[in-house]
Amino acid sequence: MKQYGLNRRGFVAAGAAALVAPRLALAQSSPYVVGTLFPMSGPNAEYGSLFTKGIELALEHIRADNMLKRPITMAVQDSLATPQGGAVGMTKLANVDKAVWVMIGFTGVSKAAAPIGTRSKVMMINGGGVGPDLAGLSPYYWNVIPLVNQEVRVLLPWLQKEKLKRIALIYVDDPLGNSVVQELRKGLAETGGELVGAHSIPPATQQFAAIAARVRDSKPDAVYFASYGAQQSQIIKQLRDNGITQQIITYSAGTIPSVVGLPESEGLIVTSQVSDWEQGDEVTQRFVKDWRAKHNGDPTSYNQNYYNAMRLFALLAQGLEKAGTEVTGETLLAELQRVRRFPLVGGEGVLEDGGTMAMPLQIGQIRNGRLQKIA
Amino acid sequence: MLFLQLFISGLQTGAIYALTAAGFALIFGATRVFHVAHGATFALAGYAYLACTDAGLPWPAGALAALVLAVAFGLAMDAFIYRPIQRHEGSFFTVFVAAFGMSIVVQSVIELVFGRGFVTVSSALTMARQVAPGIYLADIFWVAAGVAIALFVLVTLFLERTRAGIGLRALSENPELLRAYGLSSRRLSAMAFGLGSALAVPGAILTTMTSGLQPAISHQVMLISLAAAVVGGIGSLRGAALAGLLLGVVENLVIGVLDTQWSAAAGFVVLFAFILFKPSGLFGQAVTR
Amino acid sequence: MTAYLLNLATLATIFGILAASLNLLIGYAGIFSVAHAVFFGLGAYAGAQVAMLLVPDVLLACLAGGAVAALLSLGLALPALRVRGEYFVAASLGLQMMAVTVFSEAHALTGGHGGLVGIPLPTLLGFDVSAQGVFLTVCLAVLALILLAIRMLMRGSFGRSLMAIRDSESAAEAFGKDVRQLKTLVVVLGCALAGVGGALFSFYMMFVNVESFTLEQSILIMAMVIIGGTATLAGPLVGVLLLLLLPAALSFLPFIPPTQIGAVQQFIYGLAMALLMIFRPAGIAGQSAGRR
Repeated sequence: MKQYGLNRRGFVAAGAAALVAPRLALAQSSPYVVGTLFPMSGPNAEYGSLFTKGIELALEHIRADNMLKRPITMAVQDSLATPQGGAVGMTKLANVDKAVWVMIGFTGVSKAAAPIGTRSKVMMINGGGVGPDLAGLSPYYWNVIPLVNQEVRVLLPWLQKEKLKRIALIYVDDPLGNSVVQELRKGLAETGGELVGAHSIPPATQQFAAIAARVRDSKPDAVYFASYGAQQSQIIKQLRDNGITQQIITYSAGTIPSVVGLPESEGLIVTSQVSDWEQGDEVTQRFVKDWRAKHNGDPTSYNQNYYNAMRLFALLAQGLEKAGTEVTGETLLAELQRVRRFPLVGGEGVLEDGGTMAMPLQIGQIRNGRLQKIA
Repeated sequence: MLFLQLFISGLQTGAIYALTAAGFALIFGATRVFHVAHGATFALAGYAYLACTDAGLPWPAGALAALVLAVAFGLAMDAFIYRPIQRHEGSFFTVFVAAFGMSIVVQSVIELVFGRGFVTVSSALTMARQVAPGIYLADIFWVAAGVAIALFVLVTLFLERTRAGIGLRALSENPELLRAYGLSSRRLSAMAFGLGSALAVPGAILTTMTSGLQPAISHQVMLISLAAAVVGGIGSLRGAALAGLLLGVVENLVIGVLDTQWSAAAGFVVLFAFILFKPSGLFGQAVTR
Repeated sequence: MTAYLLNLATLATIFGILAASLNLLIGYAGIFSVAHAVFFGLGAYAGAQVAMLLVPDVLLACLAGGAVAALLSLGLALPALRVRGEYFVAASLGLQMMAVTVFSEAHALTGGHGGLVGIPLPTLLGFDVSAQGVFLTVCLAVLALILLAIRMLMRGSFGRSLMAIRDSESAAEAFGKDVRQLKTLVVVLGCALAGVGGALFSFYMMFVNVESFTLEQSILIMAMVIIGGTATLAGPLVGVLLLLLLPAALSFLPFIPPTQIGAVQQFIYGLAMALLMIFRPAGIAGQSAGRR
């Protein structure tokens, strides 16, 4: 049996198969069960595979380094990127698979899953969702990604410097989008800018020609959009097609390959955490080197975050093993609160009260199909 | 100016809706089959075009492949799904459920083959230029309008002037007449499915170039064609086309007044209002059958 | 493990309530609604609001959920009285699509896409019923009551009149049945029961948002009824079990990569709908391939 990776056993255990299949795990060498709750199907499946790839690399490194005495088993649940999928999947991970550490993404999924995970005392780590209300969601819920309010704060001085005063906003009408409106409106007022239009869109909308007309009508200096998944490419392409020549800006959800590789994305500004792959520290160097060897290209910040999420588990469990403490959601939480600072990809990660992690942020621009740091 | 621009965008969307809805209406009018898998035909055609373009083939080859796949799917639905059901009972809801099931199947197959992301074919045709102060127009607008008008004229001529076309129109109302004319109702029904499915192809190709495709597009197209067919008066080709145009324009104009959120619902408000207050639609006849 | 089984059983019970209530419309009255998730949602939002603002009492929440759904079922009753067949299906599709927009826009009542978070643990007449086993028992009791009521109603004159309308509206009218009143009643009843299911759902999930009340959900409930077998008491329940166990059963198949399981599941679900309609249109528990 493979001891890591998204193997079949992890998956079978998730379904009713586990009703009849005898639990293979024996007390002595029983593996640590770590779960993922990502969208593996539907229009957001691209994120699920990005997230998972980061975890897979981390698992390889953990195994190569013999960081832990016991093997790690992965349990995979499809969140479908919907709150319902999140609640059902989290219930299975907590109750059937007995996962102690669940890596999760998406704001809506997290909000639905967090009460269930908290009740079962499962650690939940988010490296993808950026809604500001993910801070302080539960003592068991931690973010290893900067939330979007931090991203907006980094962007504002840049807008000021570039003299982009009139900003039009297109946002998905959900907790994430609504907080972007608030942040931008407040922030722009402080820096002498102005929100000249805020157009909300449903998550599944695909046609933006008419919205482009309205945006154009408000004569903005730049257009900010807050969406995720497949919809982003449609927004960019249709804005460009329909005569929007102004600067387009988005947040870290725009770092996925389908956006970066889109011809119309040329010049797009994307805020995200620092992905300076030339950075000197050992952890980052190893991650980047092995990633390039394995995937023939540069990693995205999502790959990085979930690598970190998985690595964080290994670091905590290693500490617990050394102390001779059993590894459970509760002990992992205690260990995390005790240590706080961890060597992660991208530099030292400091986990703060409220479940957030301070990370350096950057402003990037897509040039020739690659995301490049510009500030 | 904004409204004129929105009206123009609406016409472009509407032209695509009109063609697709006309196909749906043609099939329903002739065979009385509520072909909700019509959206799946649209999706298949779009992805076929995309696959050919990605493979480096010229656009006529892609269009041909889309046409072949769409027609084949329409004929297969008729032969392997609708006919067996109608043979033993043919309650319209049985047909509806089976057709909906098949469109779920098509959607999942597309997901397995092409992935779930958004895909598009870049084309210089979709790039808008300023044609008047504040009015932007892309060449694809003229393509959409031209294709829609030309096809509509052709189909109307076919239905009114040719023997097969007249037979198609008589199919649902007067099967005895057909027999007297020596036309096979089976062959005519296949023709309705072939022709109706073919009408979804131009819209699919244009959509591939403008707003792009994703597997769930089949549901959306199905809902729009169905709404247009009902608003136009079920069975009326002219009505469906006009209603498709109307829905496209309404969807876009709404954005000028209300929040963008309401644009998708606007078409269904129109649909619901028509069913409540004028169920016969724009050009329909009596409704309760 | 037990927790997981109890959870699955609770979900199945709630969907059982939904399928049984939709069966009232589709199976007994011939009203082919594809907007059932709308009333499920109305009940869920109403129940959640009652629990969050007043008191998390299951009975009260169910009553509120049922009442709100019953009140707004007028939106379905109106087209049901005016049109039949394809037109009604189209109308209910329209209603479903409008409702999704309203659910996602009425932030004050529904929380929009963010949904309603923090629904408190359920109580019943002051007793805590939040333990999984206890809550399942409550749900089962509701389902049993509903099934009993449907059985009694359908065996009585109400049921006979309904089925007469389903089979031939004009004949029923000729026999002096008040078609309008009967149809309105059955729509109100079916939707109210869906609302009750919604209220239970909000306690079960502790979170509700619009994504649980979309067209896909309506189609799923409809498929449960159709696949199980319409106009029978057991049919919808068979359908519920089949469609809820399908994802679990699929994870047995070793050759499907986990990332594709969603698509494969949809494929089988769609194919089952189509094939059943061809070979067994009366559903799995239906008596014969006769008319519906």
